[in-house]
Amino acid sequence: MTAHMVSVRHMVDDVEEAVAFYTKLLDFEVLTSFAAFADVARGNLRLLLSGPASSAGRPMPDGAEPGPGGWNRIHLMVDDIEAEVARLRGRGVKFRNDIVTGPGGSQILAEDPSGNVVELFQPAR
Amino acid sequence: MSRMKVFALAMMLIAGAQSVSAQDAKTSISAQVRVRYIVGDIPVAVDFYTNKLGFKLDGQAGPYFAALSRDGVQLLLSPSKGPGGASQPMPNGERPAPGGGWNRIVLDTPDLQGDVDKLRKEGVRFRNDVIVGLGGNQVLLDDPFGNVIELFQPTEAYQTREAPRADQK
Repeated sequence: MTAHMVSVRHMVDDVEEAVAFYTKLLDFEVLTSFAAFADVARGNLRLLLSGPASSAGRPMPDGAEPGPGGWNRIHLMVDDIEAEVARLRGRGVKFRNDIVTGPGGSQILAEDPSGNVVELFQPAR
Repeated sequence: MSRMKVFALAMMLIAGAQSVSAQDAKTSISAQVRVRYIVGDIPVAVDFYTNKLGFKLDGQAGPYFAALSRDGVQLLLSPSKGPGGASQPMPNGERPAPGGGWNRIVLDTPDLQGDVDKLRKEGVRFRNDVIVGLGGNQVLLDDPFGNVIELFQPTEAYQTREAPRADQK
């Protein structure tokens, strides 16, 4: 932990399942873990995992209910994207696409058990 | 130089800056935290994040990509269409789109209500009013494309609980 910890919040359907995914597959460590909420860290990134019963899961004034999904994502740098994708596919992780190569590097979108997207990115050499 | 070459050069400069911070890290995990948001229009988004939320522009490739920083997070902005990897459709044809989700960066503030009052006056749209949670108070605002951002003010008790944990690391 450093003073530069950055927080990102994901809405998840099941906090325990989400903690298992981020710690066992993506090298996050558990900071705190409750039934409704947990937070996990990887480097300077603190990922808040908020379940339906957490304060962040409360409905908006118009009745809209927070939930998982969307396209916005944390962006995790990897040294060898192909090896990382093979490893995660072997563990049953679902991907939205195949590796895409753009001007800045190669990327792919993995999904957590609730359907939140996580980007793996290997910069162009 | 062609537009595509300018774009590729800008992307590589930004990627180059990324590898410097990666080398600084003691482990293979990059010290720089990055989050990508999909937006409808890069210049409009850059204007919003710099002028309303105090982000600094790290680099921009015209209408195709921008990177901005605040408080240790680098926000990568990509449009739904363009040459960048994040702008490509999925194999099933689905295109990345802004909004439609609840996942967000959390920006800490020492004066949540003051920020809300100021931003509302500037026309920023909020999804809710300030809610009081266990660890602090939070509110959700939308960028011009419906991407959500959380402003968060930790409670004093929460800060006290955090302090010993940081010391132990």
